[in-house]
Amino acid sequence: MLDFLQAASDGVLFGTTYALIGIGFTLVFGVMHKLNLAYAAASIGAAYSGLIILQAWTAAPAWAVFLAAFIAGGLIGWMVYLTCFHFIPLSHPLAPLMATVGMLLLIDEIIVHMTDGMPQNYPAVYDDVMLRIGEFMVRGDLLLVGAVSVLCMIGLLALLYRTRLGLATRAVSQQAVAAQLCGIRVGQVNAMTFVITGLVGGLAGALIGASVGALSPLLTAPLTVKGLIVTVIGGLGSIPGAIVAGLLVGGFENVFQLYRGVTERDLYVMLLLFAFLVFRPGGIFAPRGGRD
Amino acid sequence: MEFYYGLAQTIGVHTLLGLSAYIVLLTGQVTMAQAAFFAIGAYTAGMLTVLAGWHLVPAIGAGALTGAATACAVGFPALRVKGLMLVVATLAFGEGVRLFFFNFDYQVARGEIRVGPLGGEGFRQIRFFQENGWTTGEVMLFIWVFVLLAMAILWWFDRSRYGAVLRAVGEDELAAQSVGINLTAVKVSAMTVGGAVAGVGGALYAHYTTHIEHANFGVLLATFAIAYPIVGGLRNVFGTLAAVVFVQALLVEGLRDLGDWRNLLFGALIVLAMNLRPQGLFGGRRA
Amino acid sequence: MLELRRVSRHFGGVKAVDALDLAVAEGQIFGLIGPNGSGKSTTVNVIAGLFPASGGEILFKGRALAGLPTHQRLQLGIARTFQNIRLFGQLTVWQNLWVAQNAPEDHARRGFFAGWLGGRGSARAELAGLLEFSGLAHKRDELAANLAFGEQRRLELARALAAKPKLLLLDEPAAGMNSEEIGQLRGRILALRAQGVTVLLIEHVMELVMGVTDRIAVLNFGQKIAEGTPAEIQADPVVKKAYLGGD
Repeated sequence: MLDFLQAASDGVLFGTTYALIGIGFTLVFGVMHKLNLAYAAASIGAAYSGLIILQAWTAAPAWAVFLAAFIAGGLIGWMVYLTCFHFIPLSHPLAPLMATVGMLLLIDEIIVHMTDGMPQNYPAVYDDVMLRIGEFMVRGDLLLVGAVSVLCMIGLLALLYRTRLGLATRAVSQQAVAAQLCGIRVGQVNAMTFVITGLVGGLAGALIGASVGALSPLLTAPLTVKGLIVTVIGGLGSIPGAIVAGLLVGGFENVFQLYRGVTERDLYVMLLLFAFLVFRPGGIFAPRGGRD
Repeated sequence: MEFYYGLAQTIGVHTLLGLSAYIVLLTGQVTMAQAAFFAIGAYTAGMLTVLAGWHLVPAIGAGALTGAATACAVGFPALRVKGLMLVVATLAFGEGVRLFFFNFDYQVARGEIRVGPLGGEGFRQIRFFQENGWTTGEVMLFIWVFVLLAMAILWWFDRSRYGAVLRAVGEDELAAQSVGINLTAVKVSAMTVGGAVAGVGGALYAHYTTHIEHANFGVLLATFAIAYPIVGGLRNVFGTLAAVVFVQALLVEGLRDLGDWRNLLFGALIVLAMNLRPQGLFGGRRA
Repeated sequence: MLELRRVSRHFGGVKAVDALDLAVAEGQIFGLIGPNGSGKSTTVNVIAGLFPASGGEILFKGRALAGLPTHQRLQLGIARTFQNIRLFGQLTVWQNLWVAQNAPEDHARRGFFAGWLGGRGSARAELAGLLEFSGLAHKRDELAANLAFGEQRRLELARALAAKPKLLLLDEPAAGMNSEEIGQLRGRILALRAQGVTVLLIEHVMELVMGVTDRIAVLNFGQKIAEGTPAEIQADPVVKKAYLGGD
């Protein structure tokens, strides 16, 4: 029982990063009704970019690396928007999707080339700290990851619900044409959505690197799949859904790993997805059916 | 010359993979599962020729059948999810199949050695062509018989009422339903045909490369599968063929001068192609 | 032929259609009018099977439609057109009609093989007649997306007819038409009645409604507020109030 709780709590804390990735996918989908399949790769790429700081300033503290990853994420997000969405006309829905797949491969290969495919160490914070409650332990670094993720989510929600940009974003996600007629510059909102999700993704990538202790290009494919699973389970377009689903997937994944080992773990996560697709295809927070 | 035969073999097999995605894409379903059906065809046919001593042709048929059956089974639940969720579901299914083969062992003793799939190490010694004395040129022609057959069948579908119905579903499901088209039947049938074509492709792949493993059938192959018809355009089957030739020839050329950079080139190429010609190489007004 | 018994459709708290009773006799041209938002299109969507009814029942030739998916309702004989035309733009005019030939007698006649995989020959004669009727024969091989607006409207109607329906639900077919076009449309609808098709016409354009229907029901806020012949409706003060908001 204790092992179960332990695995679940570690998983849930790590799952906050899945939640952030899920939010990124779901926000772009909500605003532009398109999937950015390059998102997870871009987030890992941003995390790698954070390491560049260490090249220039070898004694840089971990938070500097995280900040660099955060900023790099925003830049990469904007680049993905330019290369995959800005120039392609709306009448061809498959083209942007394919372009993001191209970007996914491109980013992956750039990472492999710049690092020769070798995993890179990532700075961790509080990784030597353990909080104990009797037999139950909470890793300090995971706790920090959880805390930073939650702060990020709060910041994002504040942005969406308390600022004019957030209002414009929500307007565009509901009725892009009407929003345009009200004077909202949809192109700008879309670009900003990519920048914002990029920032969140960069931070998520850095946090993943910090909890695992290292980054490797092999992380991108599983993270893409998991991020998409979180998005679907949470309900496409729903941020609260992505949050809950991220925690759920993180927790389940770790528990599956405890009982069935690493190789079978991912198969069970798939089964979780299929269970949702069969019983609740709209996701946890399925949007209400409307008149249209 | 051997080199060109080998290239033609690869183009042929990849064309089958692309065609399997083409027919599903016509109905508006973006599927990342074609690599999985390809894998199922590959392992099925390989196991039948190596472990059960079957001749290749019926083994290919079995590969087509298992590919089709799996696709049909996947098709029904896949219908409950729309559009982009389908991408996720099929992506997850594809990864699931890959993981399955990663864990799959079935070996039998053949003389002193053991043959058959061995989990992460894959399935080696699929030597039907070698054991029966086929030359590379003959293998290439054999593969292309199937490619041309598949292209002819899909071309025929395209000109028939079925093809128009597929495209109607792909364009507007609501309108299609309202004129009496049974969406489930149409979408599942397209998936099934796609699964059969992928199964044939996989069966041929297993035999000309002689060694297959789970890593061959991952997200990258699933991406190639839909990239071909999208980059080639959905106007007709030739678009997919053109895209395969375009990609493989460029990659192979790239391979010579740039070595490892071919995947990088592939990614950049796709991004460029989608920006310059979003309707695909052969896209635009329907033939 | 078509009977709605206390049919309701709710969207959350909004009662788009509220306990509606309607009876359309075979061979009638029945009009359904009402101010914007009165529930006319929702009614059509519920009859066609796009949404399930939240309450009440719908009977077609005595048979309850509950639970039947849209394509099966088409096979029973209910076809509809869309207010915002929904043609298959990337298909030609001919193909738009071809894919819509889904009446059961056509399926049976063609058989499985020819039905799906047959070329154009099997359908040529049938559809030629339909193209003539709609004045689109000269545009057979044109992409639907390239047609003029009026031609698209005619194609929308022709496509609904390709399935040989017994009941045709027309959703605002006259929107944006001038008098001449309305006259032509009126002629076509009357010709349809002569061929034995029952019509339920949802419309705003009074010129068409008053000139072609046998009977009219008026909706307001999802409820029926009046029913009668065109003359009776035109004289009804309740109707006037609903449309014009008082005297």
